[in-house]
Amino acid sequence: MSADPTAQSTPPPVVQVRDMDFCYGASQALFDISLKVKYHRVTALIGPSGCGKSTLLRCINRMNDRVPSARVTKGEVLVKGKNIHDADVDLTQLRKQVGMVFQKSNPFPKSIYENVAYGLRIHGEKNKSVLDEAVERSLTHAALWEELKDRLHANALALSGGQQQRLCIARAIATVPDVLLMDEPCSALDPISTLKIEELMHQLAHEFTVVIVTHNMQQAVRVSDYTAFLHLGKLIEFAPTEELFTNPREKLTEAYLRGTFS
Amino acid sequence: MNPAPSNDNPFAGDNSGIQQRETAARWALRVGSYIVVIITLAIMLHIFVKGAPVVFRSEWPFVNTQFLTELPATLHVIEDQEGHHIETDVNGADAVKKKLGDDFRSEKTISYSGGGILGPIVGTALLVIVSVGVALFLGVACAIYLSEYAKHGKFLEMVRLAILNLAGVPSVVFGLFGLGAFVLTAPTFVDVPAERSVFSIPLGFTTLSFEGWDTCVLSGGFTLAFVILPVIITASEQCLQAVPQGFRETSMALGATRWQTIRYSVLPFATPGILTSSILGIARAAGETAPIMFTAALAFKDKLPWQKDLPPLPADASIFAHWEQSVSRFLGIFTESVQALPYHIYTLAAKIPQNEYAERAQYGSVFVFLVLVAALAASSVLLRKRLRAKYRW
Repeated sequence: MSADPTAQSTPPPVVQVRDMDFCYGASQALFDISLKVKYHRVTALIGPSGCGKSTLLRCINRMNDRVPSARVTKGEVLVKGKNIHDADVDLTQLRKQVGMVFQKSNPFPKSIYENVAYGLRIHGEKNKSVLDEAVERSLTHAALWEELKDRLHANALALSGGQQQRLCIARAIATVPDVLLMDEPCSALDPISTLKIEELMHQLAHEFTVVIVTHNMQQAVRVSDYTAFLHLGKLIEFAPTEELFTNPREKLTEAYLRGTFS
Repeated sequence: MNPAPSNDNPFAGDNSGIQQRETAARWALRVGSYIVVIITLAIMLHIFVKGAPVVFRSEWPFVNTQFLTELPATLHVIEDQEGHHIETDVNGADAVKKKLGDDFRSEKTISYSGGGILGPIVGTALLVIVSVGVALFLGVACAIYLSEYAKHGKFLEMVRLAILNLAGVPSVVFGLFGLGAFVLTAPTFVDVPAERSVFSIPLGFTTLSFEGWDTCVLSGGFTLAFVILPVIITASEQCLQAVPQGFRETSMALGATRWQTIRYSVLPFATPGILTSSILGIARAAGETAPIMFTAALAFKDKLPWQKDLPPLPADASIFAHWEQSVSRFLGIFTESVQALPYHIYTLAAKIPQNEYAERAQYGSVFVFLVLVAALAASSVLLRKRLRAKYRW
């Protein structure tokens, strides 16, 4: 047993959102959101279209900065205990440690190897053996290494849709981020590819803290440990997945799960 | 109960005239297209029939090398008593006259129609290289800034509108702008500023004087660059916009800076289109006459730009002096005025008496010019095909 008292208690939340309001120009998209994302767990964000779940996800790596006039108007977002809107936060370092996988699989039209190595290269890694090792490790994590090890230098666009999305996951984890954000990663995939990625997510949770946005409630049940339900920009309920789905505390959550409103 | 089969056609067209209008529209469009094709073919064929015999010949080496490798010269046509015409150059004229003796009847001279067109070809090539170099750098930089960095809004729209309007400025105005900006006021380093210098800044070892570059390849190239800039900026911006936004998002999400994103995930995929548009820009720059009339081109010049007259060196001149003269001659490709193909064609067509002896140089020049432009267009298509195959998404 370690003498360090923190080693026995649960680790602190990796991502913490505190009383956050978020606006696109004059229209407010998120209202007073507070959320703690647990270390090495899968947290799902669910809710009807337009409820702000993708916006919330994009607050965690500040991808919303790309949208002019979009900003956090109240509260704060902490990643690894640091307010990511502090002036001394380097966006490139933040995004290196908070990886992201998008809805539409979008590998670069380069080789498989170059796709996975991209993140390391832009952070200045030139050593061939380090890159080789990272590519193999990332592809293995993404359950692609066995399929692709013989054609690492083929164009990534030659892969199937499911393989492309897993390649995007490999690309996102190549820089060894602490948090992996996934924005509806399976919504454009067939059921078999979806199943593979869901299996993958359980594996990924051993190494990373995963936050996933999904419109598919069964998927949330299958992959996540915690679920947050958002509606019209408000966080209605946040609980362990099993609890939220079997015994929701809020009427609104129950109605949504039953499908009585869309 | 099934309806009884009848002999009436259930799909008969009505007679409201829809079909007639369809036919009329199709024929109107078809006739318009045919007129364009016929006129284009007529122009091409005419130039080919008259111009090809000047450049090509039926025996080895099949190409009229003299026409492509000599500078333009005055053509002397000497007629004897029996009415035979002998074409020769200025050196040959005396010998022919001597040989004919009493047989000599008359001598005609036709400017620029003898020799070849090497001078204009070289001049146009140099102008195109300078202008495309300048326009590509400025144009791509501007397009990247406008499409990737600049904040969207009214100001950006105004800048875009201004660029589009630049494309509509008459080319002679560009020529006058070039005269004022590059020939007369552009900054240059000199030991002693000229009297016409707008103002000069002494730097100790030399002086930065705003006295212009004179008429030269550099002035003409910069002027042409501004003529083709709108084309290159607009086309480059379209090519950048055509790269999927997802590439930018992914790259940024991996922690790339904006420039890294542009450098590694946007530019490589926009390059084929940018190059294609720039090659079409080359064709435009090569064909413009007005912008170079005041800034670079001469109607006639008996030297290539690197054959500048320099004082002969003394026998004991140092290697350094020889080297300096070589550099000065080499820099002539930027600092000398030149002949250019479009201006040469204008001179041949409008500035000399028209007769059957002038035709050779006229059609030959036009033919060579057309072949060069067609070659550029073809290479742009080929280049695009090859790069597209490499970078496709």
